[in-house]
Amino acid sequence: MINNNISEVITVNMGPQHPSTHGVLRLVVDIDGETIVNVEPDVGFLHRGTEKLAENRTYHQVIPLTDRLDYLSPLSNNLAYCLAVEKFFDVKIPERAEYLRVILAEMSRVASHLVWIATHALDIGAMTVFLYAFREREDILDMFEVGTGQRMTSSWIRIGGIRADMPEDFFVRLKSFTDKFDSCVDLYENLLTNNRIWKMRTIGIGHLSAEDVQVYGTSGPLMRGSGVDFDLRRDEPYGIYDRFKWEIPVEEAGDTYARYKVRMKELRESNKILQQALEQIPATGEVMTDDPRVALPSHEDVYERMEALIRRFYIVSKGFKAPKGETYQGIEAPKGELGFYLVSEGEERPYRMKIRAPSYVNLGALNKMAAGHMLADLVAIVGTNDVVLGEIDR
Amino acid sequence: MTFEQLTAKLEALFPEKLNCYTEFKCNFIKVKDAAAYKAVLTALRDEASFKYIVDVVAVHWPKKREKFELTINLFSIQNKLRVFVKVAGEDNKFPTITDIWAGANLMEREQYDLMGIVFEGHPNLKRVLLPEFFEGHPLRKDFPLKERSWFNNADEQGLGLKFSR
Repeated sequence: MINNNISEVITVNMGPQHPSTHGVLRLVVDIDGETIVNVEPDVGFLHRGTEKLAENRTYHQVIPLTDRLDYLSPLSNNLAYCLAVEKFFDVKIPERAEYLRVILAEMSRVASHLVWIATHALDIGAMTVFLYAFREREDILDMFEVGTGQRMTSSWIRIGGIRADMPEDFFVRLKSFTDKFDSCVDLYENLLTNNRIWKMRTIGIGHLSAEDVQVYGTSGPLMRGSGVDFDLRRDEPYGIYDRFKWEIPVEEAGDTYARYKVRMKELRESNKILQQALEQIPATGEVMTDDPRVALPSHEDVYERMEALIRRFYIVSKGFKAPKGETYQGIEAPKGELGFYLVSEGEERPYRMKIRAPSYVNLGALNKMAAGHMLADLVAIVGTNDVVLGEIDR
Repeated sequence: MTFEQLTAKLEALFPEKLNCYTEFKCNFIKVKDAAAYKAVLTALRDEASFKYIVDVVAVHWPKKREKFELTINLFSIQNKLRVFVKVAGEDNKFPTITDIWAGANLMEREQYDLMGIVFEGHPNLKRVLLPEFFEGHPLRKDFPLKERSWFNNADEQGLGLKFSR
């Protein structure tokens, strides 16, 4: 006779080579039968010591390190870091550069969300979406290649502006992309939103209440999926986001399905911002500030003027000095609030740089979300967390 | 509520214990008396709606008398205001804030791992990014950058390996 009342907690290992952990995330799961009792994430397999490396590099040299944090949206990371350094100097960014920054950041958000919907759906059994989402992501990466020369780690946003202006082809491609993208989102939603299997796998899974998300510090779509109306683009404006009209999607339910709906709406809202930015962007203009404290002198100047040559040599070889003090800049990255806390001792390199990585903080709520669910739901919960291990391990 | 109003409110609650200032568009609240540190944080959460914890940052100042400094980054969604609560100590021991914000658990573990701050009362204080057998705390300023020994000198897994340069 089988006794069904036996309760025995055993510990199983998930990852770091598990396909649904999106990298090298190891989860130590205590299960009672199939029910999760406790989940403990074991991270650090990809630790590169970015914060320590930054302490021995000049402010310019840190930019390529930030690319490698959240490698699905490298330009958002560049933007957060550059805005933090610019806070030390109060630099005025040229108009065209501001618009290009918004365009690049929103394109990164779309690309990151597309990878999320593709892999999240793949993990819980909806194979088709993967192919369609990666098709559109490919378009964005092609545009990055045309505009910045790199598909992923482009380091294109620099302190004081962006590296160089975009070619005409970039805007032509972006225009046709924004025109068709809404119908692409319709396509993904047709495959998933009313799909019965998708709903069964996501509704009621990984619940977080509005109180929980603030206590655990989980930002971004996790916060908005739980009914907290918070977006740093509106609530602590940076750049020129106050010039665009868009809505912040909020869902009350707080489960995986609500977060899915928030992210799908964010894709549409990002597309709206892209369209408005393309309309408003000035046709010509500088893309790098002429502030001599941070900007490299232009090549024309360097060839003709001795002072510009010295200045350029000085900034490249030794770096520029930031004033003494501490500052922080957070931006609404695709995964949540990405922030850089910089401590300066008046030298050419940061005394301390702390990266507030959204994926890392969101992982802190994993146990809260997963406890009481089935082991198979853990895959959906890790997927809805949208973890990127480059950012968690830093 | 603006930062000035918040400052006035906190000064009334904790007279002579705080130093509030704004630097590079960031609002700082320096807690001069480390004993009042947790009371200030609790007051911020309960009476000024700072419910969203953003980050915990530790900085090492080997040349100062107070060698370790902790900065808690808080945001009030209701008032759209961000503050940084700072506290400094001569040694690396600070009380934990996991009982005020549960999310501080992983943030404090990271600072323990990389900076060696011991959070007293933390439920699960162990290394998170570095392996268990790692020696030292790399974000400290006195951590050697060169000439380090192999980090797994001990041959933890008993593979009979010898490590040499």
